[in-house]
Amino acid sequence: MGPQIDYDKCNGCGICVELCPTDVFFGTKGFGKTKGEKPVISYPDFCWHCNWCVKECPEDAVFLQIALSMQIAYSERPLLKT
Amino acid sequence: MEIKKVETEVLCVGGGIAALMGAIRAAECGARVVVADKGNTLTSGAGGAGNDHFLCYIPEVHGDDVGHVIRSALNGQMGGIIRTFGPTQAVKWFKKSFDIVKLWDEWGIPMKPYGEWRFAGHAFPGQTRTMLKYHGKYQKKVLTREAHRRGVNIMNRTMVIDLLGDENGVTGAVAVDTRENRLTEFRAKSVIMATGLIRRLYPGPAPMVMNNDTHPLNLTAEGRVMAYRLGAKLFNIDMLVRQIAIKGFVRAGQGSWVGVYRAPDGKPLGKYVSKPNVDTGDILPEVDNKVFTDTLESGKGPVYMDCTGISDEVLEFMKTGLTHEGCEALVDYFQKEGINPQKHPLEFKSLGLVGAGGLIWHDENAATSVRGLYSAGDCAGRGISCAATFGWYAGENAAQYSKDDSASINETDSQSKVEEKRELIEGILKRKSGYDWKDANIALLQTMEEYAGLVTSADMLDAGLKHLKRLKAKVDSSLVATNQWELTRCLEVIDLYNMAELIFLAALDRKESRGFRQRIDYPYSDPLLLGKMQITRQVGGKPVIEWSRVPHAL
Repeated sequence: MGPQIDYDKCNGCGICVELCPTDVFFGTKGFGKTKGEKPVISYPDFCWHCNWCVKECPEDAVFLQIALSMQIAYSERPLLKT
Repeated sequence: MEIKKVETEVLCVGGGIAALMGAIRAAECGARVVVADKGNTLTSGAGGAGNDHFLCYIPEVHGDDVGHVIRSALNGQMGGIIRTFGPTQAVKWFKKSFDIVKLWDEWGIPMKPYGEWRFAGHAFPGQTRTMLKYHGKYQKKVLTREAHRRGVNIMNRTMVIDLLGDENGVTGAVAVDTRENRLTEFRAKSVIMATGLIRRLYPGPAPMVMNNDTHPLNLTAEGRVMAYRLGAKLFNIDMLVRQIAIKGFVRAGQGSWVGVYRAPDGKPLGKYVSKPNVDTGDILPEVDNKVFTDTLESGKGPVYMDCTGISDEVLEFMKTGLTHEGCEALVDYFQKEGINPQKHPLEFKSLGLVGAGGLIWHDENAATSVRGLYSAGDCAGRGISCAATFGWYAGENAAQYSKDDSASINETDSQSKVEEKRELIEGILKRKSGYDWKDANIALLQTMEEYAGLVTSADMLDAGLKHLKRLKAKVDSSLVATNQWELTRCLEVIDLYNMAELIFLAALDRKESRGFRQRIDYPYSDPLLLGKMQITRQVGGKPVIEWSRVPHAL
């Protein structure tokens, strides 16, 4: 869960590493400042799902894997009997 | 380990809304300013992914009487903090709030995105609305830029772990770098403590999944504990807060939903709305949180946020609000999963215990009880408007203070404190065996929930405090970290334990039930304690708890 990266699309710009509030990508060489270094997802279970890595990635290479324990529960039918 | 030295006039501890507003204003007032954020100010804090509502008083909308707007806000979730501030501070806040709104709009945070001042959500039908709908997704980007423009030095990935000085005045701080092996010793004439909310003190909404929470997980207790260690007053530290949120993918944004809370048979749980109301939302959680837990625990069934029947236009308004309130990932998830609030009632629940962990007391100038130490934001108040407004005042007053005579720096004390922190950190990094931060944190969550939770008593609190102290002794001496990230978590946990110990003492001292804190040995709220706040502060190295009247309290 947390961020997942399509490394074929990733260009190693480091924006996600720079922005992550909880340093999920800690351990990436150069901490995002070394161009071309692809991010390491070290602490995905500290992801807060703020979405910055997803939206700011210039290559659309990042997406959030929403854990099974976080799936929304909902009713498929309206509650009120019309 | 490298020890860097930084000298400045105003040091902002934290980099959220309050800290950046303080930094911006202090710089405008001519001070040299440093902001130390353990994350990146572009995305950090409770406001890091945006907010969509700002509590304020706008004379051209509300009329000349600020009083009726404050009275209206008293009825909802902001009532507690308004009452504790007292009338003078509340009036100062509300009267300034429109200036802050105009500044934000001028800087590029859209405060009037609907073409008019649009008030919606968190409201009772027929009552004055107090929450301005705005588009805050990029608010941290804007505030960071405005701080840079005024020459503020922002040091990201820099976590302050203790203040320097004593009860006569603050003289600086010690910080650890969250990425590289480095300490920074700050010399500052004044400090603004703005470290925000506390998480990881009580189990969150999904205890097995620590990070499934309304706010970032690295918002922890060290700000309040540091202020306490220097002699600042903390207040009502045992009081508990609970919130309602969507079940599963937990997010904040109670007021952004346009629907009705219903039981499984479709009956509204509250009395205020029976169909979706775009102007008010459903204010039930701010009035009765218990009905959510009761319905679930009695086996009746889930509680639903029912938005069925809303128009496409209202759905767009709601999704836009949620996006700006930090729930963009949730909106994307709905899209991906084919979940449509117009058709699908969504399960909501009451979150796990969210201990407020007490707040740093400050006066109407954002000054704490320690000279040169100011405080603002969620570590001293509640909500975005409070953070922005008192952050502003903190900046103005900290800058003024830093130009006047301020406390002189005691070299010996500072050096010994820096040395103490260096030894602590090296110990944690070099230790061959011990306990990791997560294990220590989970032990804390268990202890707080079991002994200092919703229902407790003197016997329970005594037993819990003894257990906590045993755990704390191990935490203080035997934590292990294999890198700087884990070290950061360890340092957070150490001060979470320190906060927890104070909470037990405060809960024991409070011989009454109030809000979510229920004591079976004192099951009533004591009317003699209404209009008072419980103050905890350090005197001679020991916690002292006393009760003090809220100025001009009703």
